[in-house]
Amino acid sequence: MGRLFSLWRNLVHRTGVDRDLDEELHSAFELLVDEHVRSGMLWDDARRAARLDLGSRESLKDGVRDARAGAGVDILFQDIRYALRQSRRAPGFTAVAVVTLALGIGANAAIFGVVKSVLLDALPYTEADRLVRVYARFQDGTLDRVPLRAAIVHAIAARQRSFESLVAFDSVRDAVYGSDDFARVVRIAWVEPRFFKTLGVPAALGRTFDDDDRAKGHVPASGAEIGPDTARVVVVSHAAWLGLFAGDPAILGRDIRINGLSRTVIGVLPRDFVAPNGNADFYFAFDLVPALASGAGWLGVVGRLRPGTTQEAAQREIAAISADLARETENARAGLWAMPLRDAMVGSARTPLLVLLASAALVLLIACANLAGGLLSRSLSRRKEFAVRVALGAGRRRLVRQLLTESTVLALAGGATGLLLAQSMLSLLRGLARPVLPVYAELSLDPGAVVVTAVVAVCTGLVFGVVPALSIGRSDARGALRDEARGASEGRRPQRLRGVLVAAQMALCASLLAGAGLLARSLWEMATAPLGFDPAGVLTARVRLPTREYSTLERRARFHEQLTERLRHIGGVDAVAIANKAPTIDPRRDPFSFEGALKDAAPVVYASVSDDYFRTLRIPVREGRTFDASDRGGVPPPAVISESMARRYWPTGRALGSRIRLAGDLVTIIGIVGDVRNDLARSDAEPMAYRTNRQESTQRVAILLRTRGDPLALVKPLQRELAALDRSLPLQDAMTLDAAVGEGLASRRLPVMLMTAFGAVALLLASVGVYGMFAGMAAAREREFGVRMALGSRPSAIAGLMLRQGAGWMAAGLSGGALGMILVVRLLRGWLYGVPPFDLIALGGAVAILVGCGTVALLIPVRRATRVDPLVALRAE
Amino acid sequence: MAGRRATLLQGTLDLLILKALSARALHGLGVSRRIEQITGGTFVVQAGSLFPALHRLEEAGWLTADWQPSENNRRAKYYTLTKAGRRQLGQEAADWNHIALAIARALDA
Repeated sequence: MGRLFSLWRNLVHRTGVDRDLDEELHSAFELLVDEHVRSGMLWDDARRAARLDLGSRESLKDGVRDARAGAGVDILFQDIRYALRQSRRAPGFTAVAVVTLALGIGANAAIFGVVKSVLLDALPYTEADRLVRVYARFQDGTLDRVPLRAAIVHAIAARQRSFESLVAFDSVRDAVYGSDDFARVVRIAWVEPRFFKTLGVPAALGRTFDDDDRAKGHVPASGAEIGPDTARVVVVSHAAWLGLFAGDPAILGRDIRINGLSRTVIGVLPRDFVAPNGNADFYFAFDLVPALASGAGWLGVVGRLRPGTTQEAAQREIAAISADLARETENARAGLWAMPLRDAMVGSARTPLLVLLASAALVLLIACANLAGGLLSRSLSRRKEFAVRVALGAGRRRLVRQLLTESTVLALAGGATGLLLAQSMLSLLRGLARPVLPVYAELSLDPGAVVVTAVVAVCTGLVFGVVPALSIGRSDARGALRDEARGASEGRRPQRLRGVLVAAQMALCASLLAGAGLLARSLWEMATAPLGFDPAGVLTARVRLPTREYSTLERRARFHEQLTERLRHIGGVDAVAIANKAPTIDPRRDPFSFEGALKDAAPVVYASVSDDYFRTLRIPVREGRTFDASDRGGVPPPAVISESMARRYWPTGRALGSRIRLAGDLVTIIGIVGDVRNDLARSDAEPMAYRTNRQESTQRVAILLRTRGDPLALVKPLQRELAALDRSLPLQDAMTLDAAVGEGLASRRLPVMLMTAFGAVALLLASVGVYGMFAGMAAAREREFGVRMALGSRPSAIAGLMLRQGAGWMAAGLSGGALGMILVVRLLRGWLYGVPPFDLIALGGAVAILVGCGTVALLIPVRRATRVDPLVALRAE
Repeated sequence: MAGRRATLLQGTLDLLILKALSARALHGLGVSRRIEQITGGTFVVQAGSLFPALHRLEEAGWLTADWQPSENNRRAKYYTLTKAGRRQLGQEAADWNHIALAIARALDA
């Protein structure tokens, strides 16, 4: 502490120190004059003599300044100059050290920036830790984040004691903003009036909803709207306020048209607001009461805990209410559960983030081991330099100071480069990771992470750069000089230290490579496993039919039919299909049950499709038939199911002709088609059921065109035909089905890409490290090898000596790596698809690549060692 | 001033300064005079060596310095031996005796 203070004083208060010194010298001068005067000199002579005694004041001051160890900016600059000269003399070492540090610091700072924004930063709500999300789930574990029925929400609200308020909200849906000449698709969300107050979000402008604002008698429940749309007031998101209204401060009270009805803007939300159900442009308030009888589950629920109530207590209470409800309704299949809102919003991003964070930490560790090895070798090879300097009178303190400066210069260079790297990594991630990360994540460089990683790196530098030098005291300086002269080999300790560093690097690298290998393999499986349909050459696009103009089934059915007819006549179109959703994109699940068995509902993926759907997507028909024109008014309505659904629920094969209850209606199974993988992250195809769009004509329309040639060339004709049918409908998300399917994999691809990148970096660092350490080992023993050769040892024997040593440490590293792999496999188990956790190809590949690189890195120094010329080696220096 | 000047061996100056200050606090000039006195005039320490050495020892934590009035009422910077300094003195004195004895023996042989 005292030393730090004195360094501080010397650096910062240099003028103060100088003044003090001036005064001291002046007082010495006066004392000398007094002395001379007392011995009988005249005043002037005494002064002259005193001046002579003291000598040049400036050179004296220089001497004092130099003497202040740990002091003087001059010495610091001298050290820095020396460090820079040193690094110029060993450009290879400097480059490797700086790049190593940059990679370690950069990767960690960037990833930590992401992790912090997702897992650590506060949600943009008041006292966000008091917010709880409530879900329904199927007790068999098939689905665990199921929306709630209105009646259930009502029941919870009536029974609970833990929450001071509890509100329901719908998921975000499309709506049409503006009128015919300026129609645009916007995102809207229906929420209960107290939604914003429960989250603790005040309006930035105007106000949020009051109970009076709700659209009385109207519920927008998905697929089952109740009552006419009576919502008259709307709250605008900050983004929409800027985007659609140019941030107009006079927006309040303005009338705007959404879904063909006029509404009044009453408030604008703050900029950082993010809803638990994703971002919408406009918010509407609804009334829960008319929906109480509805059997559909479509509501998300969030509650604010009473002060002093814990998350655990709330979770217990929700579980108790769930058990009560199950008993009362005699439905034990579904239950309720609660989790902190943050966990709900982080969602599935947590595991990959933690894996990536761990990978980045491993890269940092490898980087540190690398740096340590490099500095260790360098310090050892400079022992003689140090010994000479000690012998010439340099203090240990002075040497350490200089080494500190050298390490710091290296660390600063590495840190600065790392910072640049982290910045560019983050801007890259901002683009790539948007769809994967929770909506509220704001990616930014975290200064704390930068400092922590830099400190770790610098400390490594200090420990491994300075400690070896420290071991040279005055006494063993002679030893060091003598050692060199006699051509002794290096001591046992540095050798073992080097070996341990090699082994540690190998172990860390093996774990990382194994993880990267497993994830890459499973991504490959996901991307290449058969989808069950043929997306090549298919164009997809979406249209949303506004509620008002298309309020009846007949109108929607007519639209579906007319659109299909028009599209079929576009040149280059082979087949046209219409569905409520394109396959793999946001699959919807609905409960189904056997006729008569009301309580026993299981979820299946459900779609309503047009007649040509299966032909367009080339989904094979296995049994029976698919929909055709005869299915218009069939009672009971027809349904088609997938192979896996038939296999699972009719193991004896009597599916055809059976009656089931699907999405509320009793339907007859008329056909069985091939399986389609809707969730790309799942290895098995989920059971799936289809109904015809003649009877289930939805407002959401997904258009699928099988084309000859480039699908995207048909976007323009498609838009023309749509406009000819209804001028006010915007066409959305036109893209190839291949691209749409690819988007579904994006969230899987990103962690794999990053982890593979980390693996590659780790491999590179570890190879360089292994090479560096063995090269250092070989160099340190060069003279010993020379002596051996001179005494008749053969090159092969020397190669054997080094290879044995190298192989031993590598084996130690790999056995450590085996432990690491087990940990990695445990961590990633849930993330693997189509690959066994202990996949031989991935794990064996990782080991093979690592051993390969390690061997190459080992062979180079071995080759050099066998070519040692004994004469040169012994005579050198 | 002594006519004949012995060259100071590396490290000897530190030992002499510590010894000079072991009795009481002195200012720079006082240290110089004290060394002259206790070595019987064999060593005369020049200002150019003395002040850097004093500051170095202060940085090392063996001396502390403060401003006090001198005997003839001028302000002067006085150096005091610290506890660490006293220990260092003991150590260096022991080392010195060891070496001196060895050299004396070697010369006798």
